[in-house]
Amino acid sequence: MTAAPTAVSPMLLRLAEERATGVLVRDHGALYLADGQVVHAESPAAPGIEVLLTAGGRLAPEGWQEAVTRAGARREVARFLVDSGQVADGEMEICHLGALHDAAFFALAPGSGPTRFRYGVAHWIGAVRPVPAVAVAREARRRRGLLDSVWPHSEVDTAPLRCRPSGHGATATPRQRTLLELADGVRTPSAIARAVGRPAFNTLLEVRRMAAAGLVETPSDPAVPDPAPLPAWVADFAVDPDIALLRRLRDALEASL
Amino acid sequence: MPGIDECLLQAMVVPGARGAAIVDWTSGLALGSIGETPGGDHEATAAETAELARMAAEYPTFAPEEETAPDGAKGLPVEDLIVTTRTGYHVVRFVETTFDSSVFLHLWLDRETGNLALARLRLADLAERLVLG
Repeated sequence: MTAAPTAVSPMLLRLAEERATGVLVRDHGALYLADGQVVHAESPAAPGIEVLLTAGGRLAPEGWQEAVTRAGARREVARFLVDSGQVADGEMEICHLGALHDAAFFALAPGSGPTRFRYGVAHWIGAVRPVPAVAVAREARRRRGLLDSVWPHSEVDTAPLRCRPSGHGATATPRQRTLLELADGVRTPSAIARAVGRPAFNTLLEVRRMAAAGLVETPSDPAVPDPAPLPAWVADFAVDPDIALLRRLRDALEASL
Repeated sequence: MPGIDECLLQAMVVPGARGAAIVDWTSGLALGSIGETPGGDHEATAAETAELARMAAEYPTFAPEEETAPDGAKGLPVEDLIVTTRTGYHVVRFVETTFDSSVFLHLWLDRETGNLALARLRLADLAERLVLG
């Protein structure tokens, strides 16, 4: 493990050392600490645990609502769902850890504005399975590296997902096809993750894999201004079957820069 | 209905067990781990095992399109993966959850004292009980 030149959040590690309890708020999300350990995380970019649990249909939205109503005030929503037999213990832990690391990945994104901490705040989900703060920070860093090792173009993470015409040999896996079915040129990977009830990071990783395989578009760098409109005769080449090959070459060249 | 820690503790009771982990094979996240691991780093082992599991779970040879078995039983297409090495056995058991996930149990066994057939059955049982409501 290489020591990062700048820790993801030095403040997080300091709070862990002093065994703080409260909520760490950054631009892209929040981490809830109890005795210095991370007990929950939330981010607008990541589907909440209620989305992950209800999207598959096993837990009815009413069941979730009832749990929040009856156990939210005493901050034991997770416990209530398990004790009332709606979610198994193991499933709750698997789902919650998935949601925690997912939101933490976005919350700890480098350079995402100022960091604030409010002491004493606890989340209504309650205790499930606390994770040491260093482990959360390390996992967030590993995830960032993993995304870039697959396809070093972060533009695909936030742009609407667009399928590429097939014909270059690559085929999508069943789990990828579920995502492609929702790629309407409007939904972003984050919105698709929410719709299918999967963690956003897992969806980003699949999107990067699909971009690397040429299954989805990799948008050109938004910082570059649009070039002048091309003459019509150039556009006619779009029907040329070699265009797919040329695109792959271009992508490969860009990737090796 | 055991949680992750209880499940891992029970995995370590399997004869010959050296280490165990619960891993998400899409992200490579170690949800929980116990005991030893070949390289000494549970997180690295989880990431590597996840890659192997992903190949098996996604290549059409191992995970064909049809969802149902001849007897009509539903479930995950791939049940487990077994890797034997000179000194040990690795058993990876896919866990089926009621929500959309990609999780497996990984058990590393000593070759001398481990019993592959027994370990496979015990791990299958543990994977089932982990998500039993």
